[in-house]
Amino acid sequence: MLSTKYTEKTKLTKDEIDRKWWEVGDYFRRNSLWLLMYCTGCCAVELPPSMTSAYDMERLGMGPMATPRQADILLVSGYLSLKTLRRLIYTYEQMSEPKYVIGLGSCPINGGIYHDSHAVINQLDQYIPVDVYVAGCMPNPESILNGFVDLMESIKNKTANSWKKYRDNNEWYKQNQKDALGEVIIHDEFHE
Amino acid sequence: MMNSMNNIKEVEDLVNKTVKVLKTENIDKNQIAFEIEKLEVHRLLTVLKNTGWIQLSYLSAIDWPDENKFEVVYIVFNWEKPVYIQVRTKIDRGNPVMESILPIFPGAKYYEREAHEFFGIAFPGNPDYEKQLILENWDDIPPLRKDFDPSAYSARKFPSREYPQDFSVKDPNNKTLEKTEERKKRAKALRVGGKKQ
Repeated sequence: MLSTKYTEKTKLTKDEIDRKWWEVGDYFRRNSLWLLMYCTGCCAVELPPSMTSAYDMERLGMGPMATPRQADILLVSGYLSLKTLRRLIYTYEQMSEPKYVIGLGSCPINGGIYHDSHAVINQLDQYIPVDVYVAGCMPNPESILNGFVDLMESIKNKTANSWKKYRDNNEWYKQNQKDALGEVIIHDEFHE
Repeated sequence: MMNSMNNIKEVEDLVNKTVKVLKTENIDKNQIAFEIEKLEVHRLLTVLKNTGWIQLSYLSAIDWPDENKFEVVYIVFNWEKPVYIQVRTKIDRGNPVMESILPIFPGAKYYEREAHEFFGIAFPGNPDYEKQLILENWDDIPPLRKDFDPSAYSARKFPSREYPQDFSVKDPNNKTLEKTEERKKRAKALRVGGKKQ
């Protein structure tokens, strides 16, 4: 029988309460991840089989999302030219936190086959932080899904902290972006 | 008679009647190229447009650093006859200027901007040939010139990833290599009957 005697509630500090809420949030978040597909390069061709009935991404609770403001994951599929990187940074900064970045293919890792091109950057993590890399040229749907599972795992273990990294080292990232792009603001006749 | 060889012949006659052709090249049965003087390009393109080659398929340039020339190439296309005509002309590389063909083919506007961006050719007559189109904030010589070095540019601008260990070179101290060799030898021996050699 339960005691009717008054017991004082254990006092939790604010940090502990925050941590518990984050755990609850992370549980739901990692089971319903929304992908923003910014199809930059050729690895995007592997996404239709991983999304549709062949590999069925939705059984992991993942789905495509049309706008950056409602998405959790920024999926960079393939090489990034300077022009694309500028738009990618725009998109990344529009996403609401917490946000995660997945780099598909070997081009975001070290430039891949475009390592000596004048128009393509070599490392994505110099400009925006990356949580999961999926290597391969191009990675097959199994390894893409494996990358998604890895991301869920690292959200569970609280190691998917790239968005915090971007906030803390913002100056370093901004400097790198400036070195490569000159200016992040888009100037062209279609935007003016 | 609708025959592609007849079409080529007809085109050759027409072009030779209109301008002075420096060089003719039969590329295949549907394509023919003429090299002409810079100042006669506009006349030839006008005549071709009035005889049916109403579409400008492509405009680009080739860099010939040994000759110190840029070659500007115009490709026009006819919807009635299956013949592509290439009109080529060589211009000076030091001061590359080519008058715009905007009054003849208005669609050339963006092609000329692209050629200006990648080769640095000026197109007076096109009101915004100097505006940027594809490259943004470009800070070097035009990138499709032969004397531009893309890998040096990439190395200077984009840091490449450093790996603590180089896996692309085989390590001589690695014992697994010898084991692999042994295994290969054994497999080869098995293939010829399993006798020890």
